[in-house]
Amino acid sequence: MFVDNSGRRSRLLRRIGLLMGVGCLVYAVVLGAAFMGWGTSLAPSSLLPFGNGGPRGSQNSGPGGAQPQGGIGTPPSRPTGNPPTGVATGEPPSSAPTATASAAAY
Amino acid sequence: MTTTSSRGRRRAPTRMSRAAGKAAALQKPRVILALLLLLALTSVMLLDGYLRAEVGGDQRVRTGASAGKVPDKVLDGGPILTFQGGQATTVSVPDKTIALTFDDGPNPTWTPQVLKILQEYDVPGTFFLVGSMVSRYPSIVKDMVDEGNEVGIHTFTHVDLSYQSDARVDREMEQTQLALAGAAGITTTLFRAPYSSETDAIDNYSWPIYEKLGEDGYTSVFVDTDSDDWKKPGVSKIIKWATPEDGKGASVLFHDAGGERSQTIKALPTYIKKMKAAGYTFTTISGVMQEQNAAARQATGTGQQQAASAAGAGAATEGTTGTEGATATEGATGEQPGNVPNGEGGTSGTGVNGGTGQTINRLQAAHREATGVTLYEGKALIAAVTLAEWTVPTLSVGLMVVGVAVMGRFGMMLILARRHYRKRNKRRFSWGPTVTRPVSVIVPAYNEKECIANTLKSLAKSTHPIEIIIVDDGSDDNTSEISREAARDLGMTNVRVIRQENAGKPAALNNGVRSASYDIVVMMDGDTVFEPDAVHQLVQPFADPKVGAVAGNAKVGNRDTIIGAWQHIEYVMGFNLDRRMYDLLRCMPTIPGAIGAFRREAVLEVGGMSEDTLAEDTDITIAMHRGGWQVVYQEHAKAWTEAPGSLKQLWSQRYRWSYGTMQALWKHRKSLTDKGPSGRFGRVGMPLVVLFQIITPVFAPLIDVFTIYSMIFVDFQAALLAWLAVLGVQLGCAAYAFRLDREKYRYLLMMPLQQLAYRQMMYLVLIHSCITALTGGRLRWQKLKRTGEVGTPAGVS
Repeated sequence: MFVDNSGRRSRLLRRIGLLMGVGCLVYAVVLGAAFMGWGTSLAPSSLLPFGNGGPRGSQNSGPGGAQPQGGIGTPPSRPTGNPPTGVATGEPPSSAPTATASAAAY
Repeated sequence: MTTTSSRGRRRAPTRMSRAAGKAAALQKPRVILALLLLLALTSVMLLDGYLRAEVGGDQRVRTGASAGKVPDKVLDGGPILTFQGGQATTVSVPDKTIALTFDDGPNPTWTPQVLKILQEYDVPGTFFLVGSMVSRYPSIVKDMVDEGNEVGIHTFTHVDLSYQSDARVDREMEQTQLALAGAAGITTTLFRAPYSSETDAIDNYSWPIYEKLGEDGYTSVFVDTDSDDWKKPGVSKIIKWATPEDGKGASVLFHDAGGERSQTIKALPTYIKKMKAAGYTFTTISGVMQEQNAAARQATGTGQQQAASAAGAGAATEGTTGTEGATATEGATGEQPGNVPNGEGGTSGTGVNGGTGQTINRLQAAHREATGVTLYEGKALIAAVTLAEWTVPTLSVGLMVVGVAVMGRFGMMLILARRHYRKRNKRRFSWGPTVTRPVSVIVPAYNEKECIANTLKSLAKSTHPIEIIIVDDGSDDNTSEISREAARDLGMTNVRVIRQENAGKPAALNNGVRSASYDIVVMMDGDTVFEPDAVHQLVQPFADPKVGAVAGNAKVGNRDTIIGAWQHIEYVMGFNLDRRMYDLLRCMPTIPGAIGAFRREAVLEVGGMSEDTLAEDTDITIAMHRGGWQVVYQEHAKAWTEAPGSLKQLWSQRYRWSYGTMQALWKHRKSLTDKGPSGRFGRVGMPLVVLFQIITPVFAPLIDVFTIYSMIFVDFQAALLAWLAVLGVQLGCAAYAFRLDREKYRYLLMMPLQQLAYRQMMYLVLIHSCITALTGGRLRWQKLKRTGEVGTPAGVS
């Protein structure tokens, strides 16, 4: 029973075993690489060819950028109503309207 | 003294050594393959655990931390936070504009429904996706992106990042990017932190993360208006809470996953219709940024044309400038949205992504096309997850099969063993008239010089009239002379010694059967010692003319070593539970070679012992069943045998047994479709034997793998308790078996240890022999080393 004198089955199985072994190894390596983030760098800044230009560009418009600080003066009043209710209680819908309503001066 | 020439099949030493060399060579790749399989299995399970937050999961959520270090302008700013130029900048949503955002997806049930609604109303959304879910349901994400929605990262495992190390934060982001790349061929610059909400909820612990991610180029997105749909407050409340007041714009939070979301699904169409009726338009986060960008340009006088060119030249570069401006002129932007082309119409993609020059929808300006290594690694990740998603449930099914089989077997054994014990030990029970006629005892012996004298001595005390036929299977250690001398010393006149050239145990047994003078033959091993009444007890069932063969009760003599004790437990359970069960089910698969009795005519009728398999005892037993003979178990016929004393010996014995059992089952596979008693065995006995002796042990490693896994990653205590419970059941069964056989319980102390080493060895042996069977390699009888220490029945009542 079971004995295969030609050795063909054994050779076939050895090949399947080899494939399986390689498959297992590849699987483990792929997972390890994907988990550790090897091989690629995926932060958006490193994906952009002129990623360095971005920040500089905005710095150039420094004066324009300075403006916001002053301009923001209007919105602050709106969220001030939120902090007390905040996330913790999760009730912004009820409080936010009143807060904003009073602040909706603009 | 007769010498029988054997037919062919000689063990040429050269071939043997060659085979041994080959086996040793095969051993290595086999072991390596096994280790690789184990590695892959571990990876699969760890991945699966990671996806389900069992591995590396972290349930902590920070609340109530102070926000002293967070800039006020961020706390009070709009929901879109960028760090271009290292400066925190917020963008708010223009009036009469809604950026629908959905967190925690994709989910196979709810996300497609959300997408359908969005498509129906021609409204884009922004989905903040959990990477693990992306990798599990990639096709949903692909559809989502194809339909014009924008996606952002909501980490890979939905952890509160403020508790995690920088490395973990990086991993969470990169893994999600990979998953997105694999699923939809894109990466994204949008991010929303799990458990985040409005910007004013940013605290000192989460702020550094936004800063860090911002420096990496991520845009963090918060919420203006929270529908709080996860609280399932009812459709009308969801709509009410999601509606910004006074025509303001808002980044609105819904959830398309993370629980039952039917209320969200119900609320969404009504909400969209209501807001559209109120003059609102819908856009994505990128849409908002570009609108504000354009508006800022107008307000600062840079001109409207540049708004278009801003998108064309690269969203990141120019967009930033505009963004800052937008915040500055927020008050002024109020009236602008009408002038700026809004989200819905914007299918004329003008954005540039990743520098590849390919245009994509400007509502998806945050997307970058994934290319090269990223794309392939992403696809590999998705494939790996898919494989794990298939493997783990399959393994779980295997584990269930094993669990049910093991427990069912224990239950069945207990019930049937009890019934068997009661039935056979009733005072009134008898097989028929007492059998007193003499019988032949056949002792095949191959190099048994240590044991044969003891064997003869025990037979000399037999209470039943016997003739003893020792078949010397070409021993080269003087077994024949030693037996003859022993017989002379003991004054036995009923001993015959037959010599044959070495031809294997089946041939020796056949030789003995041919030479037997009586109609009942008892077969025993040369290393076995009978109790005085063993033969008498063993042949009593032959009073029933239907009985063709009887199995005796073999006991381990050398039980004072660990290996011996393990085998002792195994034998006691095997004989007192398994064999009793099989006896009542009339499908006993094996009559032990150590002690069994056959009707001579029955043996001859089925063609004698066959050399087809390495387990001639199993082979002939099955053949007897198929020939319509009854095979019963006689617990009172006890023989003491010497169990293998080393792991190596045990391995080779069990290797042969399991290989031989498989051969025998395969040889008799036709019985499955036979009629009559043969078919009965084929349809009752075969499945039971295959299930209990092959399938269960092959899948048994799963028990260990899952136990170890759950001990490490899920719940150590629960897993340990489960393991102990199974051990308890086994101990209970073993104790019952010991009770039936009136054995000393102290050997049961070895049982926990048996579960940690012996059981594993048994399944490894079985897997080994399965592989040998598959490859078609040759496996031969190997003589076990004997010491002859089992001389007198120790501790016998």
